[in-house]
Amino acid sequence: MTEKFDHLEEPLEKFVENIRQLGIIISNFQPSSQVGLSQKLNFVVMGLQNIDKCTQQLRDITVPLEVFEYIDQGWNPQLYTKECQERALAQNEQVKGKIDTLNFPKYFQKTW
Amino acid sequence: MENFTALFGAQADPPPPPAALGFGSGKPPPPPPPPAGGGPSTAPPPTATSAPTGAEKSTAGGGPFYLMRELPGSTELTGSTNLITHYNLEQAYNKFCGKKVKEKLSNFLPDLPGMIDLPGSHDNSSLRSLIEKPPILGGSFNPITGTMLSGFRLHTGPLPEQCRLMHIQPPKKKNKHKHKQSRTQDPVPPETPSDSDHKKKKKKKEEDPERKRKKKEKKKKKNRHSPDHPGMGSSQASSSSSLR
Repeated sequence: MTEKFDHLEEPLEKFVENIRQLGIIISNFQPSSQVGLSQKLNFVVMGLQNIDKCTQQLRDITVPLEVFEYIDQGWNPQLYTKECQERALAQNEQVKGKIDTLNFPKYFQKTW
Repeated sequence: MENFTALFGAQADPPPPPAALGFGSGKPPPPPPPPAGGGPSTAPPPTATSAPTGAEKSTAGGGPFYLMRELPGSTELTGSTNLITHYNLEQAYNKFCGKKVKEKLSNFLPDLPGMIDLPGSHDNSSLRSLIEKPPILGGSFNPITGTMLSGFRLHTGPLPEQCRLMHIQPPKKKNKHKHKQSRTQDPVPPETPSDSDHKKKKKKKEEDPERKRKKKEKKKKKNRHSPDHPGMGSSQASSSSSLR
């Protein structure tokens, strides 16, 4: 499972690095950097091709939409995981309380 | 018994004799006893305890009482058990809920360049917009040919000011370890004008004896200039006495 993500992580990192270097070239463009620019543009296209190939292995993976809201706000997506676990624990405790209250008369049966 | 039939309507057929239902002799079944104070402790009437046949269990009128079905079977896993320990999620729980998780996206992706902590709505780079309005994709990704590259000829010189902000990255926080190493290597005394921040002073550990001496000197100076000091009458008198 983690291998699939590793296979996707590497081309993504290379793609981001290419884009960053492209930004550096463009920020102060010179006539001599035209060759480098065209090379970087082709690397970008190749990077997109590699990423597209990796998506075929990840078609069965689903991501909850609420995570995207966290990312769009600039928050750590691990906060969503934390919130889910806290909610699950709270609900577990709530249901346990309900079961304990329903089973409470049985304690009287045993004593009687 | 008469009230019971009246509730669910009069039946055309006469009720079957008790013997057919397996209740024993032809005597009519006794009415159910009224619920006492300790209701659950009383024994239920014999009519209710007689279990119907297996074929009649699933039907609505299979049991002794209409619409009374068997209760669902008891399962081992219920809400009363700690499901986190049951599914072996203790490590994950301690990892996310035990420690403090940093809120910013840049802490999750430290190597990603650019200002990623800003909301996506500012740059129109939100994931939500990507889902709501997915881009129209072509067939496949083709490399850019020479004639197409001619469209990427740019003007020389720096970018205009409007586009420069996109290239700026947020300042990275220095690690404490690097801060400690810089202290040991630099021969400059710790109290320099650049280290006048109060936060840095609070974070520094009080290990150097020089700092202790300087703090003591500061305390002494404060005490001399304070009005509560016993030997001081006025500030001028204190300054003149200090000069002496």
